[in-house]
Amino acid sequence: MVHIADIFGWLAARPRSATKGPLDADEASTPSGIVPVTERDFSHLLRPEIFHQLSPLSIPPPFRNTTKQPTPETPIAELLAHGQFRAAAIASVQALTSSPVSATIAAAHPPVDPSDYARVFSLFYIRLACLCLIDSMPLAAQEAKALEDLNQAYYLDPITGAHLMPWELRLLAIRLQTIGFGDPRRAIMSYYDMAREAHLQIGKAAKAHENTDLELWKRRLVELGIKVGGALIEMEDLAGAAAHMATLRDTAQDGKLATAKALLWLHLGDVDAASRCVRDGKGGPVCEKVVLALVDMANGHFEDGLKKWTELKAELEENGIQDEMVGANLAVCLLYLGRMQEGRQILESLVDEGQSSRTLLFNLSTMYELCTDRAKALKARLADRVSNLEPTSHGWEKTNADFKL
Amino acid sequence: MSHQRYPSMDPVKEPHSVSLKVLRLSRPSLVAQHTLAAPSELQPTTGAAPDDLVPASLAYRSTAGTNPDPFLLTPILNLPPSFGSAYVGETFSCTLCANQDIPPEPPATAQTPAKVQPQKKSIRDVKIEAEMKTPGSASAQKLLLGPHGDDGTPAATAEATGAAADAAGAGGVDLEPGQTLQKIVNFDLKEEGNHVLAVTVSYYEATETSGRTRTFRKLYQFVCKGSLIVRTKVGPLPYNTATTRKVPKPAEDDENKQLRQKRRWIMEAQLENCSEDAMQLERVVLNLETGLRYRDANWIVSESPRPVLHPGEVEQVCFVVEEDGKGSAVVEDSDGRVVFGVLGIGWRTEMGNRGFLSTGKLGARNTR
Repeated sequence: MVHIADIFGWLAARPRSATKGPLDADEASTPSGIVPVTERDFSHLLRPEIFHQLSPLSIPPPFRNTTKQPTPETPIAELLAHGQFRAAAIASVQALTSSPVSATIAAAHPPVDPSDYARVFSLFYIRLACLCLIDSMPLAAQEAKALEDLNQAYYLDPITGAHLMPWELRLLAIRLQTIGFGDPRRAIMSYYDMAREAHLQIGKAAKAHENTDLELWKRRLVELGIKVGGALIEMEDLAGAAAHMATLRDTAQDGKLATAKALLWLHLGDVDAASRCVRDGKGGPVCEKVVLALVDMANGHFEDGLKKWTELKAELEENGIQDEMVGANLAVCLLYLGRMQEGRQILESLVDEGQSSRTLLFNLSTMYELCTDRAKALKARLADRVSNLEPTSHGWEKTNADFKL
Repeated sequence: MSHQRYPSMDPVKEPHSVSLKVLRLSRPSLVAQHTLAAPSELQPTTGAAPDDLVPASLAYRSTAGTNPDPFLLTPILNLPPSFGSAYVGETFSCTLCANQDIPPEPPATAQTPAKVQPQKKSIRDVKIEAEMKTPGSASAQKLLLGPHGDDGTPAATAEATGAAADAAGAGGVDLEPGQTLQKIVNFDLKEEGNHVLAVTVSYYEATETSGRTRTFRKLYQFVCKGSLIVRTKVGPLPYNTATTRKVPKPAEDDENKQLRQKRRWIMEAQLENCSEDAMQLERVVLNLETGLRYRDANWIVSESPRPVLHPGEVEQVCFVVEEDGKGSAVVEDSDGRVVFGVLGIGWRTEMGNRGFLSTGKLGARNTR
């Protein structure tokens, strides 16, 4: 196994030649000295036993029995655009394992060529991403194990040292393998490896005056920093996450990083530090109000929180801005004040407006459970209403768990 | 929280027209999201820019830019999904919902002729009462029911709606079908062990021709666990001669040698987080008896951030306690032990949930 960092280290240590001669290529291929990229066979990633069957039983009946369900011939791109992630997960496996059920489906999802690594990885990414989107992350974590060591030389271009996988697949596979192998520290090490790669690429792009590349790698580096923070939170090392987030530089100045830090402090319970993060306009006007309303709730001052959420909701609506979170949090606040009926009405109106986030449905289903002994009927009616929403890229099909059914 | 319906005190064998539902109101939690980049192969077709995110991977939809993506935590709040763990030092909050829940009338069939159809019932004077039975007390403690404004203080305006409108007083409320009487209880958990929350619902069930008062009671049992182990140690320090020199020599000096030579002690405490959640210490203070004062020697003095204790971790704190020299004698118990007072520890956990503990009386052996 050749570690990717070793290759980059080796490339970096090499005196840089102004122009690339024929010798350079030979020289570069020596350390790995393996099959050229175009001849590599990735059929080990196409074995049907890697992939799990997806049961439709976890889907509430209103979603199963509707004309909104896509046909098996719908192209994957269209499935994704309409938020049909379960169908896309199935279609990508049909293409990967060359197991279409009929000729028309085969035409829609043509079997992949084992040496066409770009398509193999693209389909693999769609598969794993869609599993995550339909709340089947445990399955995705199992399937991601098939990728094995993400840094093995087989995944690297022997000439350029570039990774053959798309960046997004590497990021996702790291997290899923972390879950699959039950080793949370793995993610952090891997993100740091990728950050080192991003640093090298930034240096390269800067020298070559490749501005598009430069921006791309800078953005990736920033994202990796934020991902490390998230991984530390998932490891429940909250103090470590706070220390790490404090080291990140706010390059974008759009208030996102300030808000992220404030939310971490809130999660940890330090309301003073959370307020400090967004003070003096650091979080932008809207995010500052959001954080301060959350601070009120964290302090148990639900009346004050309610006032802030109500004002913010009116202000955003006046400007024609939609924000599902503001309405949803307003409803939570009402429940804590003993005004659940009003909260329920707000959540129901959000559903009527076409919002259907997992949190919204979960909170509304919880309120239904508090309202009656026969919550099941109310939840089923909610599932029916949500199934009538137009399928968009925001996702359409829901699971029973989303409605606490 | 396990619950059971108390053996009915109600002679009527019919199902109740009011249902009781409860939810423990721990703090709502921030929802986590795992953002996903749009597949690069599809970017030309979907018009997505490189590294654009799949909209469905975000926790919620917003055009206001409130989502700090790609960060894990988002500001949208989830209601508590389960009871969780209850810890000594925390305030237990719970909402109690009494619902007018008469089952919808079954459609009339040949087997159920119209004359058997139940009469239309109206539900009046619904009341909720709650008591808490703690491990240390023989009898249950009656609980004050909210809606409270902020953490325990009664709401200034009873601007509740619908059914809950006039529920603030002792009187009951009338409930139309589907309406709910919602109450909130707060209880400071001070003991480890089994707690039982007993909720009694009473109402008057009136039909067109008659009426009766009905009552039922539900018990909710939960275990309260220790959250913090406090170990303390007190040691004497040499007399504080540096400060005594500065004190001018008043006449009483000869009478009371003790005043001139102020006694000092060092008090150390180890605080161990024995809960399953991370906690941040907010303040650790001594509430001293008269005649004593103390200096804090912890994170505030060193201007360090507040310590975060993950489960199983220990924070060591330290105070210098001394006689204040103002003439009032320190409190000593029968063994000549100097009584300091109590150590109070306040902490916060996820989403600002508060905890507070205070120790028993601490003190130092007489060193004279």
